[in-house]
Amino acid sequence: MVVKLKVWRQAGPGQPGKLVDYVADKVHPDMSFLEMLDVVNEGLIRKGDDPIAFDSDCREGICGSCGVVIDGIPHGPDKGATTCQVHMRRFKNGDTITIEPFRARAFPVLKDLVVNRSAFDRIIAAGGYVSMNVGGAPDANSLPIAKAMADQAMDSAQCIGCGACVAACKNAAAHLFTSAKISHLGVLPQGEPERDRRVVRMVEQMDREGFGSCSNEGECEAVCPKKISISNIARMNRDFLRAIV
Amino acid sequence: MTLQKALSSSIGSKFLIALTGLFLFLFLVGHLAGNLLFMLGADAFNNYAHALISNPLILVAEGGLIAIFLLHIFKTVTMFVANRRARPDRYAAKKWAKTKNDRSRKTLSSTTMILTGTITLLFLVTHLATFKYGPYYETTEGIRDLYRLQFAVFSNPGYVAFYLVAMGVIGFHLWHGISSAAQSFGVDSPRWTPRLIWTGRVFTVAVSLGFALLPIYTFVMGRN
Repeated sequence: MVVKLKVWRQAGPGQPGKLVDYVADKVHPDMSFLEMLDVVNEGLIRKGDDPIAFDSDCREGICGSCGVVIDGIPHGPDKGATTCQVHMRRFKNGDTITIEPFRARAFPVLKDLVVNRSAFDRIIAAGGYVSMNVGGAPDANSLPIAKAMADQAMDSAQCIGCGACVAACKNAAAHLFTSAKISHLGVLPQGEPERDRRVVRMVEQMDREGFGSCSNEGECEAVCPKKISISNIARMNRDFLRAIV
Repeated sequence: MTLQKALSSSIGSKFLIALTGLFLFLFLVGHLAGNLLFMLGADAFNNYAHALISNPLILVAEGGLIAIFLLHIFKTVTMFVANRRARPDRYAAKKWAKTKNDRSRKTLSSTTMILTGTITLLFLVTHLATFKYGPYYETTEGIRDLYRLQFAVFSNPGYVAFYLVAMGVIGFHLWHGISSAAQSFGVDSPRWTPRLIWTGRVFTVAVSLGFALLPIYTFVMGRN
């Protein structure tokens, strides 16, 4: 199959960029979206052109490295999938596909489709941890945790920090990411002692990074490759309000 | 963290927006209940209005209401500006992720809150000028005859249409506003949230329809 691409090209941070047209021919429907870009890049390199820069690592949807906006939707049209899990069979022969980087002031474009997501790391560093003396591995079940709580923590902990929530949000808010990182510790007994401090510090850092605020639309949840629920945001709001009074 | 700083944070701001919004909604419910006395006739309506405006506490209530309004406006406008700033480079092609699956609450209502809010403010100014600061009629008992004023205003089909549109806009604002406020307060449970969203929408429709009923009722009664 043949698809036409409109790809955001930008030489470096702060430089002007524009959408550039490419034609990807010899696309196999079973190729992944990123493999299709690999093939386009091989063509560009052969011609001596600069290949399209994009992030990827595991290519199996668990590392959180990849992420572009495909036809206006972060990670493309598939539910609960990252960009690397999208396949070309999702598109029709002759389709025009627009590919843009995640856009947010807190995610400056480094090159083409690669954005700097270090803001997420700084939010984690502000409080996304538990402080404890780690000795040897504790006995299993030495600390009883209700199944429902363990499930909740696990659901939140699925966040791979890809940033699609920020990309989808009309306000470029990072509430879904931050709340998932707060919840997966906060609902467990190990995270309880630092619960108040954690939420305050992480929210402070999130605001400092220049993310927007939450309009409670849930577009983040809709694009999240791990289907993290905005219930996490409600819990973060609760925890924050509890912590400040 | 000081309380002032906390209330300026993204979460604190949304909390204040939700809280002031909730108060404004409760005011609307009270306002509607009072207005519906119109249907009981001139005496009931005018006596109620007189009791309300002759009470010295009305100044405190009005002052509080204005403060709540101003805080709601200040917080939403500053937040709107900050949110625009959070994405300086727009997307060339952006679609609602709602098209991807049903895990989004995004509606036309949720995307136009700043617009419907602004229209509501403009309506409010006109509304106060028309009624509160409008023509002063007096009953034979010497109290303000708002019953007559309402007939006078809504004998004009233009006013009726304007009010109907305004009630639609306010309803549109509340359609997202009520459930959004609950989420900002952190009220959420897998079982109750869907019901809460629908309860908010039922309240919205009830209040907007209730208010919309009055201009129509007055217009039709005035004709007969």
